[in-house]
Amino acid sequence: MRERMQRFVLAIGCLLSLLVPALAQSGSTTTIPGQIPSIHFVSPVPDGEWTLPAGDYANTRFSPLDQINTKNVSSLKIIGTMSTGIPHGHEGQPLVVNGTLYVVTPFPNDLIALDLSKPGFPMKWKYEPRPDPKAQGVACCDTVNRGASYGDGKIVYATLDNHIVAVDANTGKEVWRTLVGDIDIGETTTGAPLIVKNVVITGDSGGEMGVRGKVVGLDLKTGRVLWTAYSTGPDKDVLIGPDFKAFYKKDQGKDLGVSSWPTDAWKIGGGPVWGWISYDPETDLVFYGTGNPGPWNPDMRPGDNKWTITIFARKPETGEAKWAVQLVPHDAWDYDEIMENIAVDMNWHGQMRKLLIHPGRTGYVFVLDRETGEILSAEKFQPVNWSKGYDLKTGLPDVDPAKVTHTGVNARQVCPSSTGGKEFVPSALSPRTGFLYIPAHNTCMDHESIQANYIAGTPFLGSSTTMYRGPGGYQGELLAWDVANAKPVWGIKETDFPVYSGVLATGGDLVFYGTMDGWFRAVDARSGTVLWQTKLASGIVGDPITFKGPDGRQYVAIYAGIGGWMGAAALPSISIDDPYAALGITGAMKKIKQVTGPGDLLYVFGL
Amino acid sequence: MRRRMKTCITFLGLLLLSCAVACNEQQTHAAASGAPPAIGIPVGPVPGPKVALNLPANPYANDQVALTEGRRLFVWYNCSGCHGGHGGGGMGPSLRDPVWVYGSSDAHIFASIAEGRGMGMPAWGTKVPEDQIWKLVAYIKSMRTPQEPDPPIVAQEPQVKRPGP
Ligand code: HEC
Repeated sequence: MRERMQRFVLAIGCLLSLLVPALAQSGSTTTIPGQIPSIHFVSPVPDGEWTLPAGDYANTRFSPLDQINTKNVSSLKIIGTMSTGIPHGHEGQPLVVNGTLYVVTPFPNDLIALDLSKPGFPMKWKYEPRPDPKAQGVACCDTVNRGASYGDGKIVYATLDNHIVAVDANTGKEVWRTLVGDIDIGETTTGAPLIVKNVVITGDSGGEMGVRGKVVGLDLKTGRVLWTAYSTGPDKDVLIGPDFKAFYKKDQGKDLGVSSWPTDAWKIGGGPVWGWISYDPETDLVFYGTGNPGPWNPDMRPGDNKWTITIFARKPETGEAKWAVQLVPHDAWDYDEIMENIAVDMNWHGQMRKLLIHPGRTGYVFVLDRETGEILSAEKFQPVNWSKGYDLKTGLPDVDPAKVTHTGVNARQVCPSSTGGKEFVPSALSPRTGFLYIPAHNTCMDHESIQANYIAGTPFLGSSTTMYRGPGGYQGELLAWDVANAKPVWGIKETDFPVYSGVLATGGDLVFYGTMDGWFRAVDARSGTVLWQTKLASGIVGDPITFKGPDGRQYVAIYAGIGGWMGAAALPSISIDDPYAALGITGAMKKIKQVTGPGDLLYVFGL
Repeated sequence: MRRRMKTCITFLGLLLLSCAVACNEQQTHAAASGAPPAIGIPVGPVPGPKVALNLPANPYANDQVALTEGRRLFVWYNCSGCHGGHGGGGMGPSLRDPVWVYGSSDAHIFASIAEGRGMGMPAWGTKVPEDQIWKLVAYIKSMRTPQEPDPPIVAQEPQVKRPGP
């Protein structure tokens, strides 16, 4: 009897623990009308509010809302706008919780709350964290911020000078603030935290400054640091313990984060975690990718340089690593793989499998088994010549030595450039089409290594890089990618600029995204036909979201404010006549100043 | 030449010191005696009647060897990482363009480098010797002029071959 009782309690406990993440998100659902039977979404998708950076834990950026659809999207119009007053890159996306829309601005990282229940969306309050202005000098790629997460009545986000702040969502009062990094060694924080259960998970930026990459878990209630997982160094620092099991031989062994580097180089070896973090309630694992090793000059760090450019799976409460797979050992291209990792169950070659989809900077769409880290498929989605392909048995790329730079050796016409086949800007996955909508780049580079000199708080690069448009007469593309068949379906090409905005897919079979010259578009998710577009006041590098207002109507929101790494070329502080400016992107962005200027706007569209 | 440089450096040092330590005191004193107040390297406009500032000049201006050395130092001290390979900007603003937030004179640029600036420009005065700072100033001032060593060349867009499957 006691035993039965115990079992009963256990079962209830299990059920509850399964339910908790679902409950944390109000305004979300797991029923998706019209979804393909062979696709199963593993976390609830937003059908009213938008409480997490990607809308859901799994990073699908899909919403089943369908009031705005292929039939009526042509009458979409501006319902509200707001200026943040900060003419820098507006990356990331707002949140919508309980009739309020929250905007995190670029530095100085103000949090602005707008009342969606009143016409014109008036401001409720503004929270000003006042980060240290010196942080602006060590932020590699404009003074951006990629958004906030909501949990337990708090909006949580990072300031550029490495404070994680939690703000009362009703009053705008600071609940706690915790310092998790040091600008004096070049660390900044630009990524959006993810809240899983009671843990705020966030990483650092600074791969160009010789930082030691890391992820921290903080207590949502108090802001206390619960765990820190470094990207380099001994296993105990990387939180690799007895439960860790790497799928590939190359990723197995003790303290690889030390032995795959020259003496002590791991201490300034990079691997920052500035991109998107996802979570799968089914396996109770958190996923993220690490950034590039430092310096960029590969000759200065012989070895595999673990755990840079690696995808990690970790337990949210403790940070313990479950598995890891390094996608690029000994990187010579600055291919950060901090992009979104989308958790979804799908029919894969005749069998339902737990997948993790990672469209990468390397130019490949990786499909992994998210229980083990096995690479099931790696297919090129843009022109790629640094490697011929991946050996799925070993997990290693087949690298072309002619495309590897060395000290004094200029590797020419390397595709993609450091900025990747896509950047951090997130793609969206629709369960109604089975397509992944990738904001893609086609930029190539000449990449020469020079001796790098480590001076704390300054760039640790050792590289001379210039970039330009890749083959085929286009530089950007919104690409619909058939995940199950690992092939492109349709694409909308941009002649002069990469696509540098995130993507949103909806139940109305629409795909929303923006261009660097300021067009905001709604596209037919099945055919790729542009059904609606409008020109915004500045180039778009933010991510569209959708929500239901207190009036029950569907809206779509997006930032217009050019900036970020490639977009910085539009800012007055960058001179296009230096092709090596802004880490080499200016050659690829020659026309940007003619077509757009700095902006600072939030747009909300509706019918 | 050596003497002039020494004077410059002493001048700069003194100005810094006097302002940091005794700005207030000196001003009161100056007002009392009717003598012109001491001015450092003013970044803002100087109110009242015009006063000659007598800012120190760069001992290495137009010295081609120094320009080349300045270029080398610009890369060596990672100025290039923040300000662009050839000063076109990045984490820090372009130094090629005609915009000077903190003043365009040699002395102003020297002060920007030596003292640092509030929005993240490191203060190099304790790390880089004065003569090297002047060489950096000389190199920065040569940008976009025919004297610029190793000027950036904006290449034609290469025809990249489409990689095979
Ligand atoms: C860590 C990044 C960083 C490094 C390294 C750096 N700078 Fe700067 N620099 C900045 C930033 C940011 C500013 C703008 C500061 C401000 O406006 O307060 C700046 C401003 C300047 C200015 C003033 C520009 C103006 O418009 O008045 C000069 C001159 C300058 N830097 C020269 C240099 C030189 C020379 C070096 C190398 C010895 C160097 N910088 C290294 C980030 C950097």
